[in-house]
Amino acid sequence: MIFFAILAATIISYIFFKIHVANYDKNPESNVYDKYYVMITDNYKSDFWQAVYKSAFEEAKAENIYLDLMGEKLTNAHTVEELMRMAIASHVDGIIVYANEQTGMTRLINEAEEKGIPVVTLYGDNTHSKRISFVGVGSFDIGRKYGRQVIDIINEKKQKTDGKGKVQISVLVNTEMQDPAQNIIVLAIKETVKQLNAENTDFIINTVPVENQNPYSAEETIRDLFLQDEIPDVMICLNELDTVCAYQAVVDYNRVGDVDILGYSDSDKIISAIDRGVIYSTISIDTTQMGEYCVDALNDFYNFGETSEYYISDIELINRENAAEYSAKESADE
Amino acid sequence: MNKFRKLPLQARIIAVYIVTNLLIFVMNICLLAGINKMTLDLGMVYQDNRRLDEISEVLTDVQDSIAGYLSSKATDSLENYYRNSQKLSDMTEDLKDEVTDDLFDRMERNIRNMSREYLSEAEQTIEAKRGRNVEKYRIHYERAEELYGDIKDYIISLNSVRFASNSGEYSGLMRAFKAFEIVSITLIVLVLLGNILIIIRYVKKLFAPLKKLAKCADEVADGNFDTEIPEAGTDDEIGVVIKAFGKMLVSIRQYIKQIRESMEKERHLQEQELMMEAHLKDAQLKYLQAQINPHFLFNTLNAGAQLAMMEGADRTYEYVQTVADFFRYNVKKQESEVELREEVELVDNYIKILNVRFSGDIHYERQVDESCLDVLMPNMILQPIVENAVNHGIRDMLGEGRIVLKVQDEGECVAVSISDNGKGIEPEDIEKILSGNWKKSQDQYDNNGIGMDNVITRLRLFTEKEDAIEIKSEGKNKGCEVIMRLPRAGRRDGGLKCTG
Repeated sequence: MIFFAILAATIISYIFFKIHVANYDKNPESNVYDKYYVMITDNYKSDFWQAVYKSAFEEAKAENIYLDLMGEKLTNAHTVEELMRMAIASHVDGIIVYANEQTGMTRLINEAEEKGIPVVTLYGDNTHSKRISFVGVGSFDIGRKYGRQVIDIINEKKQKTDGKGKVQISVLVNTEMQDPAQNIIVLAIKETVKQLNAENTDFIINTVPVENQNPYSAEETIRDLFLQDEIPDVMICLNELDTVCAYQAVVDYNRVGDVDILGYSDSDKIISAIDRGVIYSTISIDTTQMGEYCVDALNDFYNFGETSEYYISDIELINRENAAEYSAKESADE
Repeated sequence: MNKFRKLPLQARIIAVYIVTNLLIFVMNICLLAGINKMTLDLGMVYQDNRRLDEISEVLTDVQDSIAGYLSSKATDSLENYYRNSQKLSDMTEDLKDEVTDDLFDRMERNIRNMSREYLSEAEQTIEAKRGRNVEKYRIHYERAEELYGDIKDYIISLNSVRFASNSGEYSGLMRAFKAFEIVSITLIVLVLLGNILIIIRYVKKLFAPLKKLAKCADEVADGNFDTEIPEAGTDDEIGVVIKAFGKMLVSIRQYIKQIRESMEKERHLQEQELMMEAHLKDAQLKYLQAQINPHFLFNTLNAGAQLAMMEGADRTYEYVQTVADFFRYNVKKQESEVELREEVELVDNYIKILNVRFSGDIHYERQVDESCLDVLMPNMILQPIVENAVNHGIRDMLGEGRIVLKVQDEGECVAVSISDNGKGIEPEDIEKILSGNWKKSQDQYDNNGIGMDNVITRLRLFTEKEDAIEIKSEGKNKGCEVIMRLPRAGRRDGGLKCTG
């Protein structure tokens, strides 16, 4: 009797231990994927790229494809080109890259294409390369939207100053990339303002080159603007980082109300700044759509041998009126 | 279980010992296996990191050997390059080649592919160098160098994420180890307690019958044979002992019963015998009493005496009168003490009767100091002594038998002596008579049922002296003398003692 009791106790102890150990021993069942795509961006940490990646990842996973955000797990920081080189050497099945028009990038894209790796440029294009497709936003459309906002601001300012004074509009442009998209946006702004300026208000639109050679140069450049004699009335930021830096500078230099910021991207920080009236409005890109387009382009290439050369994502203007509604929608989507 | 009980005691004790030891052994084996496995697991935790480190080292070796070859075109470097590149190729081929949810797998896959690319570039560099195509080998070497840096970075990254994950696993394993420790200790304690219980239980079980037997034996030792015999229960040695003890006890009980019964029977028989004897004696006595009616006897004898006187037969008259007196004494004297005078008269009468019976053969001489005749003494003493003297001393002798009765004053005592000139008595016989060891033979003449030993005992009791009677004989046919010393003061007033 006792003998069996001891036996039972032993077995129970063993089972208890097995269960206990199993918690550490177990490897999660991992799915094997058919294809392996990578997404390469300049800053994997940004909310914008994270949002795009998330959408693209989901889209790819549905097709049994794994999409990695390159550089995310590497200890050292790498440039887009370096990551591109690694991706090519790793023989991935598809590359989604935030490209630029530089020749180095062209060469890398072409090299990938030669090795049979289709490349989709995302958000920034490299028009001279053999990339299969470009997924981006309609720059002209963005420029028009900014232009309309500028007119609204001009009208508001005019009421305050009784039509006297010049309205200075600064567009913060990226110096590093010879990005035609930026030029298009600036052009569109200028055209739109010119067209819609019925009152013939005096205004100047200038572009402010923002250094982004290193991660902190953008912030320095923007702060410099506030130390000049003439502080711009409207600041148009064409990326998320510039927007956040401008917003922070306005707050720090106590220029809220004097300087209107037209931002870019729809991070929580920016939306809440709109809500508080620090940022006038922002352009939100449909990141979900953008992510899906990237994967779709690659899949189309594999499935049909060709794909559409351009994918344009929807954009949305967020200002004080629809900010609350937008954030509610976003959180509902989450 | 029943089979187990049938085993001999030794085998059972050994079995219990083996079982408990086996339990400990099995437990130890289990624990050892557990510890072994866990140690192995712990050892394996950082194996991936080590493997990656090795790849990294080999990669560096390859790169160094290329650089060495490019700078000096040394054969050593080339050999090193080939060896290391083969090694790197082998090692990276072992890496995972699948795209899974697991980040490590994907990174391994990338490292593997990049290494392949790197090796191809390296090969081309070496080829170009051999072909002395400076431009070409420079380009390839640059690319190889870039890839080398990329792979290094990848390996470092993978190593660090792996390390983080492995550390988690390691601490998990350590926790498991701790849990294992607790489980082990619990198990050890459990097995220990279990073993103790098993041993206690079995030893109790083994010795329970023995204990009962000891208790039973104790009771038997105290004399309680009716105690309950414990059940044997088992077939082992204890069982055998208990059974044997039981049988022994039953036998003892039977023997005791038998002995008791036979003793009872014997006692009964004795009782019966005694009763029979008593009844017989009683009957004899009554018979005798009935027969010897003293009045009838004396009337009869008186009538005889008167008849003899009327017929003028004086001698007959005297004889019958003497016989009557003789018997009267016997019947009348119910008291235990009488005066010496009466005893002497009885002897006179007895001699007279004898002389009539034996026609005056006995010569009777009397030397009596009349002043001494008032002395008290037990009755029926002198007559049996005289009777003895007649019967054993002078009856069968040739010539004239003579009996002398002397009563002398010896101061404090009165000496009464009866002597004959008969056969005499041997000194040893005298000894026997005085010590009461004289066995009279069956055919011997019985003198009224009163033997010498009776006379001697009564006389001694009366005088409270051992030497109250004395027997002297000079030897065969030299006669015999019996001397009695009676205290003068007698016994009736509480007894003076006669000394001398």
